[in-house]
Amino acid sequence: MKMELNKEYVLALIAVVLGLLAGAILMMLTGNNPLQGYYFLIRGGLMSIERVGNTLATATPLIFTGLAVAFAFRTGLFNIGAAGQMLAGGLCATAIGLSFAWPKVILLPTAVLGALIAGALWGFVPGYLKSRFNVHEVVSSIMMNWIAYWTVYYVVPGYFKGPYLETESRKITEAASLKVAWLTKMFSGSYINLGFFLAVLAVIVIAFILNKTTLGYELKAVGFNRHAAEYAGIRSNRNIVISMMISGALAGLGGAAFYIGYASNIQIGVMPSQGFDGIAVSLLGANSPWGVFFAAVFFGLLHSGKGFMNAMTNIPPEIADSIIATIIYFAATSILIERCWDRLKKYLRGAK
Amino acid sequence: MLKKGMGLIIVLVVLAVAVSGCFTKGGTNLKVGMVTDAGTIDDKSFNQGTWEGIKRAGEELKVETKYLKPGGTTEADYMKEIGNLYDAGYKFIVCPGFKFETAIYQAQDKYKDAKFVLIDGSPHAGDGKAVVKENTVSIFFAEHESGFMAGIATALQLKEGEVGFIGGMEIPPVQRFNWGFQQGIQYANANLGTNISLKAENVIYQGSFDNVAAGQQLAAQMYDKGVKAIFCAAGGVGVGAINEAKSRAKAGQQVWVIGVDVDQYSEGIYDGNKSVILTSAMKKIAQAAFDMVQAEKDGKFPGGQTLTFDASNNGVGIPDENPNLSEEVQTKTAEVFEKLQSGEIKVSDQRGNLIK
Repeated sequence: MKMELNKEYVLALIAVVLGLLAGAILMMLTGNNPLQGYYFLIRGGLMSIERVGNTLATATPLIFTGLAVAFAFRTGLFNIGAAGQMLAGGLCATAIGLSFAWPKVILLPTAVLGALIAGALWGFVPGYLKSRFNVHEVVSSIMMNWIAYWTVYYVVPGYFKGPYLETESRKITEAASLKVAWLTKMFSGSYINLGFFLAVLAVIVIAFILNKTTLGYELKAVGFNRHAAEYAGIRSNRNIVISMMISGALAGLGGAAFYIGYASNIQIGVMPSQGFDGIAVSLLGANSPWGVFFAAVFFGLLHSGKGFMNAMTNIPPEIADSIIATIIYFAATSILIERCWDRLKKYLRGAK
Repeated sequence: MLKKGMGLIIVLVVLAVAVSGCFTKGGTNLKVGMVTDAGTIDDKSFNQGTWEGIKRAGEELKVETKYLKPGGTTEADYMKEIGNLYDAGYKFIVCPGFKFETAIYQAQDKYKDAKFVLIDGSPHAGDGKAVVKENTVSIFFAEHESGFMAGIATALQLKEGEVGFIGGMEIPPVQRFNWGFQQGIQYANANLGTNISLKAENVIYQGSFDNVAAGQQLAAQMYDKGVKAIFCAAGGVGVGAINEAKSRAKAGQQVWVIGVDVDQYSEGIYDGNKSVILTSAMKKIAQAAFDMVQAEKDGKFPGGQTLTFDASNNGVGIPDENPNLSEEVQTKTAEVFEKLQSGEIKVSDQRGNLIK
């Protein structure tokens, strides 16, 4: 077990380095100095306490969606619906936050819980369809994305419309926001919020469930081989539904972290890109909770440092986006690297 | 894993400390930055119009220019890019679009020594109460007047038949284009002897500004129903409509699109030199952006003011050159424009009893 973790860690690092190299080549091809580019990229993400805070704030929803995808992966499910689950969670949290005038200690946990339940519900549907009718979860969870998208489109302008804009909800009140004054002040005005701590907590809880509980064991068993698990007396159908619900709940929490934390309202007509970035985060993090955490922070750094790199160099934003995408692409191909690694090892052994 | 991960973080922190040593600020030259709204810099619309104005300022007024593209469309995303521009020494920042309203509201306080130009919106705290500080200018356009002129030109050129409207999101600027366009058609029917109809079913808001495929479908449906020209105030959705019109025009069908925001004639070109763009309902965004940079250069930045660009100051209208409009139509349209400028014709910016 120890060896395996080490290997995964090395592979992820190699993937990151390869990604950075590919990005560097792209920078050189467009006539820019890669060292300078990366210098400003890192500075942009970390040069002040405010920017560190923003990097973590950018990473927060990614931790959740990465965890969501990784968790489903462990049960052999591909949850591509994290975006929709985020929307469902965000909408529910926003709705609760805007509907009640309770004190913060009650309202905020209720909103977060609402997000969790809404996300779980959004995950339950594809999970149930998969276990009951063997409908492939990729198809049904993508469809759920659009259901969430258009639900937001209908509900927000209809019931939570701002006083001046049709395209976004009213601003969330201070009492329902994950943003708290002391944290904002500590990071001198950054967008970091309680969502980050929730994310860390989620990482710990998920790591515990996967590694230390019977449920986690069963879920993983179903992921390794559904039929073998069934033969061993594990009810795989039930586990599929549970896995999708937990996965959805995580993405739903990501929605809360995004819409009532990072942003202060919910906009219509926007499918959150974090839902899909979560897949890459999960791959880079080798589907392990802490791996996901660090992968998400790395992505957060890339996303939040990018703008400063643009501002300080002649790299146009579109190229910067391609560079980030290239890094992510390479980072997510750790499986390929794993194969090369194994072959290399075999080759070395043969040479001996 | 955890321990190893900590190592990674430590490496990152060390790197950050190492690189935060030298940091040189730019010269005293004015540096003009822009943050784009949702959509790309070549959206043939708001972003592009603003950027063209800034680029022109860069060439003619010798200022440094730069645009940044935010990762999302939340206030936090916008604030981060404004911060990036500011930290890189760009202290004259132009933001196109109403979505920047709450971000600029914060930025004008946070970056007191920077200047902000907000196009198509006014800064507020999220409550709609405009607060334009001394370092900010807020710019509006009279879309209804622009739509009105496009309606007049369309009606005069087509003389009879059906027209349609495709909007992006159902938001005030787009609605004003629609209402103005309808009033233009009505005016032409009543006073200029045309017979153009616009059915309620052919007035559609797609719901986004970036769904090219949906724009193409909507346009196809309308053209199938016999609509001759569609006014698209819909960003990328309009691009889809233009594509549909182009492929139909190539097949010999006579269909038109009326462009929006900028002169979209060149977007509609097919078969070498023909274009499906009948005319465009323009907001002279580039001019507005350029004017503001020039004002700053001359030390006359109208800080704290809310400016409206309308017909009376040539801020809206159809393009100067319209190859698809006949001489006669252009002359007549120009006459109507003069009446609009003098105030003889009034265009309402409210829905009244118009369609949607």
